[in-house]
Amino acid sequence: MKPLSEEEREKILNSPPVGTWALMITVGVGMVVAWLFLYYGVFLPRGAIN
Amino acid sequence: MIDVVTKKLAFCHLWVAFGAFLLACFMGEYQVLERSGFIPAIESPSVYFASVSTHGVLMAFVLTTFFIMGFGYVVATTSLKQPIWNPQWAWAGFGISSFGTVLAAIPLLTGKASVLYTFYPPIIGHWMFYVGATLLIVGSWLWCVIMIMMMREWKQANPGAPVPLAMFATAGNALLWLWTSAGVALEVLFQLIPMALGWMDTLDPGLARTLFAWTLHPIVYFWLIPAYTAFYVLVPKQAGGYLFSDEIARAAFVVLIVFALPIGFHHLYMDPEQAKGWKLLHGVGTFVVSLPTFITGFSVIASLEIAGRLRGGKGLFGWIGSLPWRNPMVLSVILALLMLILGGFGGLVNASYAMNAMIHNTAWVPGHFHLIFAGTTVIMYFAIAYYLWPIMAGKPLFSKDMALVQLWTWFIGMTILTTPWHVLGLLGQPRRISGVEYNSLLTLAWDPYELAMIFGGLVMLGSACLFVYNLAMTHRSQEVFEGEIEYAEPIHPVTDLPEYLNDFTLWNKVIAGLMALSFGVPILQFFFMKTFGSSAWGF
Repeated sequence: MKPLSEEEREKILNSPPVGTWALMITVGVGMVVAWLFLYYGVFLPRGAIN
Repeated sequence: MIDVVTKKLAFCHLWVAFGAFLLACFMGEYQVLERSGFIPAIESPSVYFASVSTHGVLMAFVLTTFFIMGFGYVVATTSLKQPIWNPQWAWAGFGISSFGTVLAAIPLLTGKASVLYTFYPPIIGHWMFYVGATLLIVGSWLWCVIMIMMMREWKQANPGAPVPLAMFATAGNALLWLWTSAGVALEVLFQLIPMALGWMDTLDPGLARTLFAWTLHPIVYFWLIPAYTAFYVLVPKQAGGYLFSDEIARAAFVVLIVFALPIGFHHLYMDPEQAKGWKLLHGVGTFVVSLPTFITGFSVIASLEIAGRLRGGKGLFGWIGSLPWRNPMVLSVILALLMLILGGFGGLVNASYAMNAMIHNTAWVPGHFHLIFAGTTVIMYFAIAYYLWPIMAGKPLFSKDMALVQLWTWFIGMTILTTPWHVLGLLGQPRRISGVEYNSLLTLAWDPYELAMIFGGLVMLGSACLFVYNLAMTHRSQEVFEGEIEYAEPIHPVTDLPEYLNDFTLWNKVIAGLMALSFGVPILQFFFMKTFGSSAWGF
């Protein structure tokens, strides 16, 4: 691995964590989709509690 | 440098914790085997319920409390660079908690406290179980006082300086535990012990369940905060990077501690003793408390991203492959976050007022809490132990490769164990039953899932044995290891903080207000309306 220059290092430390945002949005959307699937796809079709 | 007193205290606490953990793992595997009905020779509801109760107490109360105390002493002395405040109190706390554990173990192992490690009357266990559990908690209160006093003394000696993040989280956890344990303490002292001793003929289960709900959810955050502490203060350094933001970490801890408390009624959605408005209030609070978890996820992943990029990772996700996956701490946090995503989703379903009816008291619930507790939380306990052991013992870890295999097998075993558990819950399998064989087509359909769970449990048992073996063998090494605990530095060093991110006085008052709001009327109602008590059931 090539050592980073001080400039590259500073750039990394001051850049927004775009990969993290992408992962968090993916996880967040995944959770919402899974929740909606469980609610509309599994829970509601079972009908009211008798 | 860790002083001798702290090392002794930490090792004593941590070995009690991990000894209890190993014993509980054997019980867990027995339970999935017994419950499946595949081996008729071991079927016994009485032994099963004694085992479940002991397994739960050892994991949820003994492993956690002793681990948190031991880790807390190390964090306090190394982050504040000051000796333990009143070591005699610390040893007294250890002694009281240990004695309480032994006292509670006697009725548990003899089947006289098969109350499923919960405090839900009218099912009642032997008085020794309740007195023992109380002493375990009382011992931990001494730890809480020591943590709070150490932070206070440090602040007095360093006016205006930011309390080290690790200590801020640990002292916050001590405060959380004092608040958390108050609910069950009231229940045990005024209801369960008098009932178990025969001083009362009846008690009010509604009041008891309300008081236990006070404790039941924040206790999870008491267990989880050491894992989050490691996320923030140990992981970034081990990954070769920096903490994304010290201030965000503090804000996450504050929100977690404040909102973990007034939300326990999502455990009572199906109970009749509380009105639906109170349940809805607690339900909304439950979703609020998922916020600091998302913030934590973001901060920790951002810290990892920085580390990965500093190590040469490029592109949107290329930094993931550049992380030091062979570092046990880094591997643990990745696996912990994966399990937190899955377990967190299960928790959102549990917290959903309507959908809770679908999975309430089904196998989904133990599937969920095993994923969060034995998954996310315990895997970070492993990581912390692997990190601390060489430093405290002054000897290198017996086998790093074994540690990596152990972490992977724990994760794989947990996935194999809990996925069928969730599915079985959706299929309607009840929890808290000693057998699943009813000779019907419905229960026969459960068999493949039961088989998978047995295999997953077996993988985890092997993993647990590897973990304890690795730590034990580390003590026997003839080599010398010299190292100190290295806390992660934030990208932008913190020099000045508002007091609300450096102290808990304000937040303690906020908690008091929120607790009065969310639990005041629900508890007081039992004293203003006519209720009918239940007589004891069980032992």
